[in-house]
Amino acid sequence: MNTEKKVTINKLPTGVPGLDEIVGGGFPEYSFNIIAGAPGSGKTTLAHQFVFANATPERPALYFTVLGESAIKMLRYQQQYTFFDPAKLPDAIRFINLSQVVLEKDLGAVLEAITKEVEKANPAVVVVDSFRTMVRQPRSDMDLQSFIQRLALSLASWQATTFLIGEYAEDELRDNPIFTVADGLFWLRQTTERNSIVRKLQIIKLRGQASVPGLHTFRITEAGVQAFSRTFGLAARKRNPPANRRLSFGVPELDKMLDGGVREGDSVLIAGSSGTGKSVLATQFIAEGIRHGEPGIVAVFEERPQAYAERASKLGLDLETPQKNGKLTILYLRPLDLSVDETMQSILDAVQKIGAKRLVIDSLAGFEMALSPGFRADFRESLYRMIFALTGIGVTILSTVEVDESFTEFPFSTYSISFLCDDIIRLRYVSLDGQLRKVMVVIKMRGGDHAKDIREYEITSKGVVISDQRLTNYQGLISGLPVHSNRTTREVHSPQDSEAKNET
Amino acid sequence: MTTLPEMRDLAQRLLSYEASTGDISEPVDSATLRVYQKLRQNLVGVAGSASFHSLASRALTLARAEDPGLSAVQLGRNGDLERIGAIEPSIKVEQDRVHEGGVILISRLLGLLFLFLGEALTLGLLRDAWPGAALDDRNSGNGRKL
Repeated sequence: MNTEKKVTINKLPTGVPGLDEIVGGGFPEYSFNIIAGAPGSGKTTLAHQFVFANATPERPALYFTVLGESAIKMLRYQQQYTFFDPAKLPDAIRFINLSQVVLEKDLGAVLEAITKEVEKANPAVVVVDSFRTMVRQPRSDMDLQSFIQRLALSLASWQATTFLIGEYAEDELRDNPIFTVADGLFWLRQTTERNSIVRKLQIIKLRGQASVPGLHTFRITEAGVQAFSRTFGLAARKRNPPANRRLSFGVPELDKMLDGGVREGDSVLIAGSSGTGKSVLATQFIAEGIRHGEPGIVAVFEERPQAYAERASKLGLDLETPQKNGKLTILYLRPLDLSVDETMQSILDAVQKIGAKRLVIDSLAGFEMALSPGFRADFRESLYRMIFALTGIGVTILSTVEVDESFTEFPFSTYSISFLCDDIIRLRYVSLDGQLRKVMVVIKMRGGDHAKDIREYEITSKGVVISDQRLTNYQGLISGLPVHSNRTTREVHSPQDSEAKNET
Repeated sequence: MTTLPEMRDLAQRLLSYEASTGDISEPVDSATLRVYQKLRQNLVGVAGSASFHSLASRALTLARAEDPGLSAVQLGRNGDLERIGAIEPSIKVEQDRVHEGGVILISRLLGLLFLFLGEALTLGLLRDAWPGAALDDRNSGNGRKL
């Protein structure tokens, strides 16, 4: 085996939050890259972020503008971004306009002009924005592919990491020989779905390092482009081995039904119709964790954090103090304008910030509604990725979901997400003795025992209180319309009953 | 609409600086022309000659409205300032004097740069063109010192 060292390719920070993870640690040094996409897709902004993150007076960045957008306008607008540091101009970042050369001469002259400036400045970064406008000039005596090939050779030798920016439609990317020259090909696109804009980024090609495949959502804010990796930055994180620890719900009878509590690192779903106490159970779960020194996150979509905390206080649960102590974060994710990955990134950031061990998502229906319509199609898939990522690092997740009450079916969820959950607890209304009452049953507990009991419960000023008796004198309880059996009393829950358990 | 005092001050300082550092052994140029050419050189490099031409054209139009004497001055196709000598004596003849028309024209051009690029980028550009000048010494008597 050859023990001589292989060449090391340094990775340069992209300057774009989230993008380093997607490209496998940063852009490869001395690589020759193309950023392609339709006008307005964020190509120039992305390139600027890279330039501002890497340029120094010793190894400056040369930013060549050609035709198309006026350089003055570009600078006018780009300086609105927070990453734009005017102090870097002109020593660390130099903007050079080549439009006159392009208009009056040919691509050979453009190449010569770029080479001359590169030799003079010894830049670490070179950007040509937009290279595609050059080929539209009728006097080109050199074809674009040849121009790019020669430019790539020249700039690599001058130890510059290079980005060419070009406007391309999606179908132009296929079999385009120009792109064979590039070490990296980054495709940005934006589509309008109903009333919202969906922006996505794809690493079509990146030589020398493993990038995260697929389409990644990105957003353009006052801070510039922010990318959201499909793996939420957790791909490289070591998965924790499954823990055997049981986490208490803060509801003793429910802990018993769950054979001692929820397994740490499980994903739990509480399904029930409106008013059945899903949020109350979720609040008790998070409060119990805090009592045991386990920081928690509650992601709420349907009410504001203050209202959520006030409602908890009516159950005797103090969520104000742990928020002040950094043990609890109640995230209110503003509705109707979210990408799913952006939302999940907010949750992940909060989890990592306080070292959360428990996460409540209240509710999945609210979560879905908060998303831009274009992202709702990806909801289940993204939820799966987030749950997999978080439970993998030992976070226990409790999600609530509202289900339509049916008297002929017993659905767990309208989202078909039960496969995402290790444990499912179903709450429902039943008609008993002329009253609308509530029952609870543990439907599923992956890899563990759980009670088969259908238990009646009430929501009191102390939260959910489950009867220590199971209902034995009714048949068809899960239909919601039980029939009274011949037995005349409710049977007291006995130790023998506890042995009657499901093993899923 | 008149030029802003800050722009006038900055223009006057650039013109005075250029007038005082002019080498009288070199071919005769007016201070205005020298300042203009330095700005042109830097701006064309950054933004291209077409962008510069349009800015200069706008600046000249605004300046003419303020000082009709500038109507003799013309803008060449490539952005050159033509017939500036008609309004301003050469530095060889009158080194210390900066003509009012020149102040107005340069301050108009600087005003447009401040408007479109902002103070930080414009001052960066001026520092690049006049590396020896201290442009942002706001503690000096009238804001900017050259």
